[in-house]
Amino acid sequence: MDFTFDDEQKALRDAVRDLAGRHTPASSGGDVPVGPGKHDAAAWSAIADMGLLGLAFGEDVGGAGASAVELSLAATELGRGRLVTAYADAMVAAELINRAGTAEQKAAFLPDLLDGSSLIVPALAEPGRAWSLAAYDVTAEGEGDSVVLTGTKEPVPYADVATHLVVTARAGDRTGVYLVADPQVSGARVHFDATPAIQLGSLDDAPAAIEAAVNLGILAVVSEALGAMDAALPMTVEYLKTRKQFGVPLAAFQTLTQRAADMYVSLELARSTVLFTAMALADDPLDSAAASRAKVQVGQSGRHIGQEAIQLHGGIGMTAEYAVGHYTARLTAIEHTFGDTRWHLARLSASLRDYEQVEVLRPA
Amino acid sequence: MHLHLTAEDAAFQQQMREFFTTQVPQDLRQRWAAGGEPSADDMRQAQRILNEAGLAVPHWPVEWGGKEWSQLQRHIYLQEMQDASVPPPLAFNANMVGPVIAAFGSQELKERFLPPTANLDIWWCQGFSEPNAGSDLASLRTSAVLEGDEWVVNGQKTWTTLGQHADWIFALVRTEPDAPKKQMGISFLLIDMKSPGVTVRPIQLIDGGHEVNEVFFENVRVPADQLVGERGQGWTYAKFLLGNERVGVAPVGSIKRRLADAKSYAAATRDGNGSLLDQPLVAARIAELESQVAALELTVLRVAGNSKEGKPDPVSSILKLRGSQLQQDVLELIADIAGPASLEWKRGDDSETEAWAALATPTYLNFRKASIYGGSNEVQRSVIASAILGLKG
Ligand SMILES: Cc1cc2nc3c(=O)[nH]c(=O)nc-3n(C[C@H](O)[C@H](O)[C@H](O)COP(=O)(O)OP(=O)(O)OC[C@H]3O[C@@H](n4cnc5c(N)ncnc54)[C@H](O)[C@@H]3O)c2cc1C
Repeated sequence: MDFTFDDEQKALRDAVRDLAGRHTPASSGGDVPVGPGKHDAAAWSAIADMGLLGLAFGEDVGGAGASAVELSLAATELGRGRLVTAYADAMVAAELINRAGTAEQKAAFLPDLLDGSSLIVPALAEPGRAWSLAAYDVTAEGEGDSVVLTGTKEPVPYADVATHLVVTARAGDRTGVYLVADPQVSGARVHFDATPAIQLGSLDDAPAAIEAAVNLGILAVVSEALGAMDAALPMTVEYLKTRKQFGVPLAAFQTLTQRAADMYVSLELARSTVLFTAMALADDPLDSAAASRAKVQVGQSGRHIGQEAIQLHGGIGMTAEYAVGHYTARLTAIEHTFGDTRWHLARLSASLRDYEQVEVLRPA
Repeated sequence: MHLHLTAEDAAFQQQMREFFTTQVPQDLRQRWAAGGEPSADDMRQAQRILNEAGLAVPHWPVEWGGKEWSQLQRHIYLQEMQDASVPPPLAFNANMVGPVIAAFGSQELKERFLPPTANLDIWWCQGFSEPNAGSDLASLRTSAVLEGDEWVVNGQKTWTTLGQHADWIFALVRTEPDAPKKQMGISFLLIDMKSPGVTVRPIQLIDGGHEVNEVFFENVRVPADQLVGERGQGWTYAKFLLGNERVGVAPVGSIKRRLADAKSYAAATRDGNGSLLDQPLVAARIAELESQVAALELTVLRVAGNSKEGKPDPVSSILKLRGSQLQQDVLELIADIAGPASLEWKRGDDSETEAWAALATPTYLNFRKASIYGGSNEVQRSVIASAILGLKG
């Protein structure tokens, strides 16, 4: 096992860091963005132009033929730069098409998604329901080319700018994957009323495709979170060195510096886990235990670092004009994306009897 | 020791419950319970209803509308008010400036200010913090210079909560710049926000809302008789006030109300074929928080913070510390229960997401403030360490 990046990976990281730096939203003056932001179209086309959408996908479907590791590396820099885009969502949609779709369906939709000419996002959550990989209240009827969907998905992040949605829907007592063009969208709510859809692949393949796709989405968001934490900590450290109260810098109070040290511990645990998960998913996209452990560790680290970053900044950390709160808001949103800490703990708990010890070293 | 409420206290509890649930309009209480940015009109209306019934300022001296309630009765009153989602009397008025004027103000100031303060005819805001005087409040620099029978005030305050609605500000100002210690030479001044030279500028917080402001003073002229108590004694009054503030910020009733809400939200959120309340981790978290809130409430009842003769009881720091933590924990739990729905802060018109779920994340982020203001949690720990444990840092 080796956690070091090779030269190509370092070059990619630097290029994405550069790109993200150029699109980082303002954090002072003017109309400061707070809350779930609007999709940044300029940043999106820069991301597409750099080929970052195709990193984890094969050249045969229009991808770059790199791997989940490169995707993670890129997402980390997008998180560090506080970019508001559908990156993780589009990766889930792409993987759903890639795994569930037939050869023709892949050819029809993936290249456009991966080069940025279409924007496809997944519609998974249902109103009034906890997170779930299965669909319940959105149903699919019919087969082949004459499928229709009925029900509501909400919230569907970036639905308002999407050209297509990949929707999970219940067919009988199973969950299938469907593609809808030009969806009826109102804010973050998508309503289907016998809406024509294309079924992607077969019902038999759908569960594994959903699991693999969400795992890839998890990798993208935990990587973004890593970037956010990796930026929030130095900001906080710098603040402790410069902010003076009682005639001394805050860094003179050991109670604060020790907490910064704890934040660092949280950050490095998250970093190890994210890097490991990137390699594990590159190896086996269905390694859901790795994905869940990453979500748990990053959920906990993110909460710890986000909360402490605000607390150690005092009042200024609460303001929209100061980036540390943006990172915390983003970390909070990430924790509730693709299953929260509790959901992933519950998934891990369900398989405790299947193994004796947790293993990270694997034979080739 | 007694486990049960006496018949008298039980009757008092019943009386409070009935008053809050029948005399304060239900739609107003529902708006307050829903959270989000508070409505100034609702706060005024609620406080006036309470004041009319003699329930706005029960801890003031009897002469000025107070009640000689026991600590337990005071707690029952707050608990019932919060449980019924009645907006509490504006803290700046009821818990801060009112008691200071009542304890240290001249008879003239009392007569002039206490009745309108109790009735929220004057909306007060607190002008203590400055950009370079936060936790280190004593290093404040806003100056007041006596010219004839007027103070001329110059400087800047910040973090002024609800200053946009305020009629008056009570400010700490430096009147003796050459005093030997920075805690000395500070005075407590009452300033009309409409005075020429006062400017209010909004600050936006991370939940997108506007509840705090910067307030600038440029040659603001303040009649000399609007100084409370003695010149140079402002620090003593401020400590008295902050002691009261800390007592008010263990909102046990609100925490319990929100926790009960959390339980019903979990029961209403479908998960598989059941609800989130059936999920062991959610259920265990709720049970854990309920136990912790009970421990806090019992501590409030046992040690209830007092502010005696200008000195805050250091025990009130426990209530501030633990109250803010639990309040934050419960709001975190609500965001967790909302889950994916918490990703949507602003609902569209035909949204099917519940209002509470959409508000969950902004509310959670907003209440990170609770461990920062009114003496941060680090400051509370220092008070406990030095004043109670004798550990001078
Ligand atoms: C939403 C909000 C509303 C507010 N409303 C008002 C208001 O209406 N009126 C008003 O006057 N003020 C108000 N305040 C100001 C509040 O009281 C200050 O923010 C608070 O005192 C902290 O000061 P600061 O923000 O300057 O942080 P700093 O004092 O710079 O503190 C930064 C961090 O360092 C820690 N720290 C500082 N000194 C020490 C020390 N000696 N030992 C250990 N840790 C330390 C703090 O706890 C904090 O974590 C409000 C603040 C907020 C966020």
